Amino acid sequence: MPRKPLLAVALIASLMSPMACGTSSGTGATGGTTTGGAPKAGGTLVLGENGDEPACLDPHQLVTTNTTVVDRPIFDSLLWQDATGKLKPWLAESWKISPDGLTYTFKLRQGVKFHDGSVWNAEALKVNLEHMRDPATKSPLAAAYIAPYKDAKVVDDQTLEVHLTSPYSAFLNVLAQSYLAMISPKQIKEAPGTTCEHPIGSGPFVFDKWTKGQSITYRKNPDYAWGPPGAAHTGPARLDGLEIRFLGEDATRYNALLSGEVNVIDNTPPSNVQDVKANQDLGFTTIDRPGHPFSIWRNTGRAPFGDLKVRQALTLAVDRKAIIDSVSFGQWKLATGFITPSTPDYAGGLDGRITYDPAKANQLLDEAGWTTKGADGIRVKNGKRLTAIALDTGVNPQNTQILVQTQAAAAKVGIEIKIQNVTPQVSADRTAAGDFDLSVGIWTTNTADVLWIQYASDNITTAKRRGQNVTRLADPALDGLLEQARKATGDAERAEFYNQAQARLIDLAPAIPLYNRPSLVSFQKQVHGLDWDHAYGAVTFYDTWLG
Amino acid sequence: MTITSILRLVGWRLLAGVGVLWGAATLTFLVLHFTPGDPAQAIVGGENAAPTPEVIAQVTAEYGLDQPWYLQYLDHLWRIVRGDLGTSYRLHTPVTQAIGEQAAATVELALAAAVIGLALALAVAVATAKRRRWIRGLAAGSELVVASTPTFWLGIVLLTVFSFGLRLFPATGSHGLASLVLPALALALPIAGVLGHVLREALEEVLDEPFIVSARTRGLADLTVRLRHALRHALMPLVTMTGYWVGALLGGAVITETLFTRQGIGRLLISAVNAKDLPVVLGVVLLSAWIYVLVNLVVDLLYLAIDPRLRPVAGVRPVAKGVS
Repeated sequence: MPRKPLLAVALIASLMSPMACGTSSGTGATGGTTTGGAPKAGGTLVLGENGDEPACLDPHQLVTTNTTVVDRPIFDSLLWQDATGKLKPWLAESWKISPDGLTYTFKLRQGVKFHDGSVWNAEALKVNLEHMRDPATKSPLAAAYIAPYKDAKVVDDQTLEVHLTSPYSAFLNVLAQSYLAMISPKQIKEAPGTTCEHPIGSGPFVFDKWTKGQSITYRKNPDYAWGPPGAAHTGPARLDGLEIRFLGEDATRYNALLSGEVNVIDNTPPSNVQDVKANQDLGFTTIDRPGHPFSIWRNTGRAPFGDLKVRQALTLAVDRKAIIDSVSFGQWKLATGFITPSTPDYAGGLDGRITYDPAKANQLLDEAGWTTKGADGIRVKNGKRLTAIALDTGVNPQNTQILVQTQAAAAKVGIEIKIQNVTPQVSADRTAAGDFDLSVGIWTTNTADVLWIQYASDNITTAKRRGQNVTRLADPALDGLLEQARKATGDAERAEFYNQAQARLIDLAPAIPLYNRPSLVSFQKQVHGLDWDHAYGAVTFYDTWLG
Repeated sequence: MTITSILRLVGWRLLAGVGVLWGAATLTFLVLHFTPGDPAQAIVGGENAAPTPEVIAQVTAEYGLDQPWYLQYLDHLWRIVRGDLGTSYRLHTPVTQAIGEQAAATVELALAAAVIGLALALAVAVATAKRRRWIRGLAAGSELVVASTPTFWLGIVLLTVFSFGLRLFPATGSHGLASLVLPALALALPIAGVLGHVLREALEEVLDEPFIVSARTRGLADLTVRLRHALRHALMPLVTMTGYWVGALLGGAVITETLFTRQGIGRLLISAVNAKDLPVVLGVVLLSAWIYVLVNLVVDLLYLAIDPRLRPVAGVRPVAKGVS
């Protein structure tokens, strides 16, 4: 999901960016959470996170980017996604899918207890699924992710049979995400109003205190014996405690790491990554998030981007690599397609299909009939200028830079981009209403079903429902592929449909994929065993210890 | 001056205060209601969210968002009258609780900044009034610089020098005294600049008065004259400016809290405005308006205490208040 920093914070950050101090020096080892001798138990780790503090800690009520970082310590999920994208048993021991893809039978792990003592069983899973869907929960994301969920039947204490209204191959994937993590069934039933303020899960850390506007603290769960598969150890977490502080200013967060106020920072400012890597006292580790890469959406529902050739021309006119490198100080990887390589079912064979070729761009625009140019070099057809309206909220300086550089590249082939500055809400409303030509965004999720979310014609916003198909792409062939992929029950079959869908999207060019968004994590060398939740690409602390 | 006349003054002021609160509530409601943005969408997580139609329907019904705006307005007013500030759209907790959780940190910051600001202003003004030209010039120059420096920039300079550079104070958080120093200074310095300037001007005027000359001829030390005789007279303009510096404290807190990652009402307000969280914005605005009303009332009473000439005499209209 897109990050939405506070307006004032972004303003201040942009004003202070020239002053961001890089005081570190020297040469040293780079990156990676290395092992440094035998792991030690004890101590409290302090993480400096950006200013995107959740308004609530109930994962089912959250949509914010930092959900996994703040909630994964407290909550476990039904499944765990490993580094290769494979789904592994976690709170579910095993599962079976019916041939029609409509019934999922979960066999659950025994001996798991929530922090309030309540027991993990089939009833607990059912209560959680119902809680996600219940309109009273006001779920901004989880409810949509399990939209095909119909009902569930408790077969026995450890077995739940889940029925769907339509086949949904991404069901298991999304269940591995922290947004769909398991809350204490006792809390959901007896005190549903407290899940935001006092979250109770079954995870390696117990929620301790939330000082709103500042920090969240956690303490070790001494009874924890069900760590995710592939973890470096079993049993309780090694740390005694964990504190997450919300440090909205990039320079403040980076300097807090330098001065030792915090042990680890997430969202390392890209401009400081080189300094971190050069600093002998610090380590650096990174991972690309799964899902849809950060992209420039184009409204295919109206001129000029209703014309495929104009869309293709703009993609060819933009030197994506140069833009991304300059904006991110070389810290972001160029997107190679419509999902990132860290997403299951990524079609690696399509790499290199999106190219930079201004000459070809000019040729396509000529073919599209935009043959004459005005005095300012902008193309004209039937007295109309080739103009596109781009929406920019200004809350993220990097997004603005991307749009400005795209504007310059477009002008060179005769496309005029007018950037309009609007508030995030106006941007959201106008994007939903189709009143724009260009906007930017990203969608992080651990399944190629993100393509259905972003490009299926069913997801074009209507008066009844706000959908995520902002490009308003309506292509029956693509719809068919995405629908078939949803219905597929075999891995190879599903991958093949997604492969074709990704190829089709490169041809249809509804968006310009720009970069894979990474988690950029820097840490003091005394910190060992940082790990990742691969279902979102977020840092986790179960194995972590302080040397 | 009778008790009745004081009570009457207080009564009228409080009644006018209610009018101010109503105006503030109305204006806030209208501005937030008629700025673009779908409140139901904002409530379920803004533009990032993918709520199902059922969730949107639930939110719309629960918060009465399908009602015409005037009914929603009346509903808000009626709840406020009953002392119920409602439930935050964003936090799903009562507004009083949301404000209560943040209030202590802001009060701590504002008080610290007020004390530092006043102390600095007094010290510099008393020390430099009617001194040699270069001393006054230096003081006035510094005051002008800090008074015209934006709080956030001052904060960044303080952070860069004392936290990132010298590592004397933590850059973030509200844990204890050490973390209060830099934000309080960032908030206090511009206020000290303005108040110090005004106070010195007033002191210099007072120091020319005949009663000062007579005090000096009695052989009193310079500092005694300044502190015991001149200062009381020079305080009037400072009291008049109470509204200014209370406003500067409240407004500055928004920026200072964000910059120094402190808890507080300011940060609460920013997130609420960004999320179109009408109940919280209304709550904070009402609280600020109420503080203004109270501060103005206290100031008026202070005038009476400091300057006996202003006290109403039976049958005579009070003299217009003003700077001595």
